[in-house]
Amino acid sequence: MLSFSGKRLLGLGHRVSAAAVVGRGYHERVVDHYDNPRNVGSFDKNDSSVGTGLVGAPACGDVMKLQIRVDEESGKIVDACFKTFGCGSAIASSSVATEWVKGKKMEEVLSIKNTEIAKHLSLPPVKLHCSMLAEDAIKAAVKDYEAKKAKHLGNAEAAQVEKA
Amino acid sequence: MASRFAPRLFLRRLRMRRRAQPISSLHEASAESAGVGGDRIFSPSGSWSPPDFHCISRVFFSARPSLLDEGKGPAAIDYPSLLPEEEFHRLADETIHELLENFEEYGDAIQIDDYEVDYGNHVLTLKLGSLGTYVINKQTPNRQIWLSSPVSGPSRFDWDAMSNTWVYRRTKANLFQLLEEEVGQLCGQPISLR
Repeated sequence: MLSFSGKRLLGLGHRVSAAAVVGRGYHERVVDHYDNPRNVGSFDKNDSSVGTGLVGAPACGDVMKLQIRVDEESGKIVDACFKTFGCGSAIASSSVATEWVKGKKMEEVLSIKNTEIAKHLSLPPVKLHCSMLAEDAIKAAVKDYEAKKAKHLGNAEAAQVEKA
Repeated sequence: MASRFAPRLFLRRLRMRRRAQPISSLHEASAESAGVGGDRIFSPSGSWSPPDFHCISRVFFSARPSLLDEGKGPAAIDYPSLLPEEEFHRLADETIHELLENFEEYGDAIQIDDYEVDYGNHVLTLKLGSLGTYVINKQTPNRQIWLSSPVSGPSRFDWDAMSNTWVYRRTKANLFQLLEEEVGQLCGQPISLR
């Protein structure tokens, strides 16, 4: 009887401690993104297919840089990377953001809501702001790409006019 | 209404007065060392180096803090045109204390399981049991009040001197109005915060 309950305790021990952590600590998904962040890195910000979103403020404690590489023909995001300075929730939020934008069209990613990111990571109330920052970073990256594209087109047109 | 001596409220007020130590010096120090526009930390090659707070001077772009909310890029904090810090603390503290008192009175009036109002380190937490938790705090570098709501998620309020209220620029929502609507609906009884 004693050894049976002992084994049960051992078997459940891992889960019990995880449950205890969930009460006060980071959700296991956040820890996972923190330990194994996806898509950390940097693209060349001057590359015409790259959009860079830079949001946050060091004074506030959170800065996120999220970059997307867009395939011009299809308008799809073929690659994404991020670098974040901030808390575990901020890192996890931006990491999730880079995962979610890959393979999607630019219009689609604009509809990614901070509430979805927060729900996915089970963020506590105080950390909802991190997910909002991730949403802002996605929007900023798309906006940057569009602005670059427009400028690029504008330059090309000007060059054509000059030729003519 | 306040003729009855409310010992709990009185004790909380005592605690608040003790807790409300001037922390503006701390904010000043962090603002001094960390007041930098976003682009400065990222070198063109994209290599990541942690911000060296000792050598970063107070550099800022002439952009308004609202750009932060509109996601227009790096965190440009234009200190001169911001609300002066002391003024911000005065306004924000006043607002948060008002909310604290109102939430406490409301809690006495209604019957919600696990209703709890907590205030510490200038962070106001309103727990509504299974209905969710509100967190209201100051975000001094941006001169904002940040709200986390179980209904509408995160929002950031700036002081609008014209209307003498805190307004979330993206949705034009008013802090008090938003809380009144949401809390009133959640708890099933209207609340007045103004």
